[in-house]
Amino acid sequence: MNDLFFSFIPGNSILHRLDPRTKIIGLMIVSICILQISSFSGMALVTLIFAAFVFACKLPLMHFVRSVRPMIIFFLLIFLMQLFFTEGTPLFSLSLVTVSYEGLILGTILTLRFVFLLIFAALLTATTSPSGITAGIERLLRHFPLRHAGISSHDIAMMMSLSIYFVPMLYDNFKNLRDAQFSRGLDIRKEPLKAILSLSVPLIGMSVRAVDDVAMAMESRCYQSTGRSSMHVLEFGRYDHLFILLYFFVVVLCLIF
Amino acid sequence: MIKITNLSYRYPDGTLALNSVNLDIKKGEFVVIAGKNGCGKSTLLRSINGLILPSEGSVAVNGMYTSDRSRVMDIRRMAGMIFQNPESQFIGMTVEEDVAFGPENLSLSTEEIHKLVEKSLRAVEMHEFRDHTPRILSGGQKQKIALASVLAMEPGIILLDEVTTMLDPDSRNEILSLVKRLHENGTTIVYVTHLLEELVHADRLVVMEEGRIMHDGDPRTILSQAKVTTFGFNLPPIIELSRKLRDSGIIDRTTFPLSKDELMEALCQLK
Repeated sequence: MNDLFFSFIPGNSILHRLDPRTKIIGLMIVSICILQISSFSGMALVTLIFAAFVFACKLPLMHFVRSVRPMIIFFLLIFLMQLFFTEGTPLFSLSLVTVSYEGLILGTILTLRFVFLLIFAALLTATTSPSGITAGIERLLRHFPLRHAGISSHDIAMMMSLSIYFVPMLYDNFKNLRDAQFSRGLDIRKEPLKAILSLSVPLIGMSVRAVDDVAMAMESRCYQSTGRSSMHVLEFGRYDHLFILLYFFVVVLCLIF
Repeated sequence: MIKITNLSYRYPDGTLALNSVNLDIKKGEFVVIAGKNGCGKSTLLRSINGLILPSEGSVAVNGMYTSDRSRVMDIRRMAGMIFQNPESQFIGMTVEEDVAFGPENLSLSTEEIHKLVEKSLRAVEMHEFRDHTPRILSGGQKQKIALASVLAMEPGIILLDEVTTMLDPDSRNEILSLVKRLHENGTTIVYVTHLLEELVHADRLVVMEEGRIMHDGDPRTILSQAKVTTFGFNLPPIIELSRKLRDSGIIDRTTFPLSKDELMEALCQLK
């Protein structure tokens, strides 16, 4: 389970040492820029920025390939939809549809956008511990008047933190269930519907019980959504200020490209 | 320290889990609550922790009633609880964060939180695992972390709900040694189990059946006198052997060994 996509890779690189808030804000800015870029030169620039980070942090490239891999069918669908259904200068025709030059360009740009959104998100999770991310989000949300709407930033952070914690737990439960059902003769190829039901129903039951147990453990340890303190001290350092400056350059470059 | 008066608890489906339970637990006692599955022992522990409210009667911890919701946080801080399944009581991403969860809820300063985390992890000899993900630890290590998480809130009472049920014998012994050490340091222990071999360190045994207390007193007296059938479960082989040796007059009638070590000592004294 340690090789799961979007997992944290411990380290001491410049990105690892940044305040989570700087990285979260950075991801938001980069994401907006990626969505704005519609040229290959812009995409090349984003690739360079990404490569520089990966190289500087000495992160394994395979980690990012793993982050993209589960979405390949989705990317392919996006690409094909643009390729076949965008009107423009025809390149060639297949029986029912015509592939246009504009479709090819649009499909490639759109697919690259999604790929970059994913790998930059993976860059954040690879260099920030899950608790760092939730602490960062919690601190950022404090600046919004959520409490007037009866929402606590602690609650949101706790929900996120528990969701991240539950993913591997769910996966472990799923593997145990799958092994148990297979050992009792379940054949997913012969009876796919039965297999889905026999795995999903107990998995939901187990998850509900696990949530109930965790809620009781939290209550028992005096959980309260307001007035909590934290063991994490988030402080902006020299590099954080430098990165905030860097974000302005990224925005300017994005506007140019 | 804990005063339970005529406590009854009925689940929403109508099942009566606790039926007029009366129990006084004094400061520094090591009380084992035993009984077969479904006898109400876990429900009793949850009532003490204020996780469930009495249908009838009352539960008071240090004079604070669980029905007084303004005091429930004080009660939970005073009486920390550890659950049976170590897997489902983790909240933090790392061992350190999980242990810090309680002190964070008590709004302690960052410095105090770090001190308590360090102290609690050292108490259970798990400080080297502070950066680990709880998930990857063994069952025994997980239960030690759960114990450290409760210790970080500096409770006077620790409620343990069948904490060794899912552990191997070595891990079980480690947890029992830790609990014994805590008791020696003055912590009140309320230990729920259905494994009677675990009560060797207890001052007092409370046997429950169908939501009622059937026996309450010194473990040696109860186990040496009460009929096996009244417990509703099988006695451990050591205790059965002690009974037979005593009834046959092989060992002294005034002694009743509860553990392997005690039995060996009694046998060694035979002439």
